[in-house]
Amino acid sequence: MTLPLHHPEDQLLIGYASGQERAGKSLLVATHLAYCPDCRRRVASFEALCGSWFEELPCNDHDGLDALLDRMDGLLAAGGAPAEAKPSRPLAAGSLGGRPVPEPLRSWLPEAIDTPTDDGSWREISKGVWLSGWERTLSGTTICLLRMASGAPVPAHRHTADELLLVLQGAFSDEYGSYALGDVAQYVADTDHHAQGASEEDCICLFLLDGELIFLDEEGNPA
Amino acid sequence: MPEPSDQDPDRPSQSLDADRLDTLVGAVARDRDRTAFAALFRHFAPKILHYCLRLGADRSTAEELVQDVMLTVWLKAGSFDPAQATVGTWVFTIARNRRIDRLRKEMRPAPDPADPAMTPQSHATPEESAQLVQSSRHLQEAIGSLAANQSEVLRRSYFLEQTHEEIAEDTEMPLGTVKTRLRLALGHLKRSLGDKA
Ligand SMILES: [Zn+2]
Repeated sequence: MTLPLHHPEDQLLIGYASGQERAGKSLLVATHLAYCPDCRRRVASFEALCGSWFEELPCNDHDGLDALLDRMDGLLAAGGAPAEAKPSRPLAAGSLGGRPVPEPLRSWLPEAIDTPTDDGSWREISKGVWLSGWERTLSGTTICLLRMASGAPVPAHRHTADELLLVLQGAFSDEYGSYALGDVAQYVADTDHHAQGASEEDCICLFLLDGELIFLDEEGNPA
Repeated sequence: MPEPSDQDPDRPSQSLDADRLDTLVGAVARDRDRTAFAALFRHFAPKILHYCLRLGADRSTAEELVQDVMLTVWLKAGSFDPAQATVGTWVFTIARNRRIDRLRKEMRPAPDPADPAMTPQSHATPEESAQLVQSSRHLQEAIGSLAANQSEVLRRSYFLEQTHEEIAEDTEMPLGTVKTRLRLALGHLKRSLGDKA
């Protein structure tokens, strides 16, 4: 088994560990963590750093807290209901190419995302490249799936904000490298990049965009 | 551990050391010990309160969050694993999650360790395993050796969620210095080439 080679940048991992990062990108980070033991350890280290900052916070505000402790003591005496863990979604749901997508993404995805492309669930944006009809907006980030057939290039596009890809099936490549299962590619605003499918099976990625995505025609004008 | 002999009213019986905190959580988990819980409450409640107030909660919401977090400590004490994190880090992660729920009205996506689709560490090849250990040690060392002024901008930026402008204003540093220190801090923590497979 090969572990991911392309990881989210530290800014995202620290922001995820501290709670500063918003839900949209956190969904991608958390799903990468399910694929990547290395980043899980890295996030744990960043959490420990935040824990040390938390421990440094002052402890000089006891007004009102003693009363709160008294109230809580009553609550504890009464038992207090344990918080129940949310059960994972069944593995059969949210599978790609027979391999289940890990949580937390699995719970977000539609039942069958690798269904044939002509049933309306994929929108072809150029030959061999599709965006899923499934789309969510989470804390201002647009989330959908991008699908690339082998050798099919994603058409030229412009994005005014960060773009992130996480490979869920197959592989793609661009001028910076090649990306396989669990790998993350991050493009800052206004960078030129040319992704294309690089595996026999279609490559499917989780696709995140902070701002608007504008596809360009041959002259480089918004299509 | 040494108790402060003269009680400073501003710092009441603080600074339980890590071993003591482990023991208290153990007593809550095993014996449902409310005295141990009260000691944990006195240690952490003011920190949780400060944390939530700092991040925009009003006083009554912050107090509700304190209650939420401490109730979770009571209920989940049995799942605390001292091999994974310190008590302080564990309580921080609970406070972080509750704060996101409550103040941002967002859920916090997280991998599910019980998920069979998660790639376990044991799937790593021996080379990858060695790499993981190396990478983790490298980061620990880098965190430990961060310059104080770089750690401070990291803390403000990620933990207190201040913008670069707010940091500059609060610390009376030029904006450019804030940005430089943040960049240096992140550069210092960066995975070394050797870590990258
Ligand atoms: Zn990673």
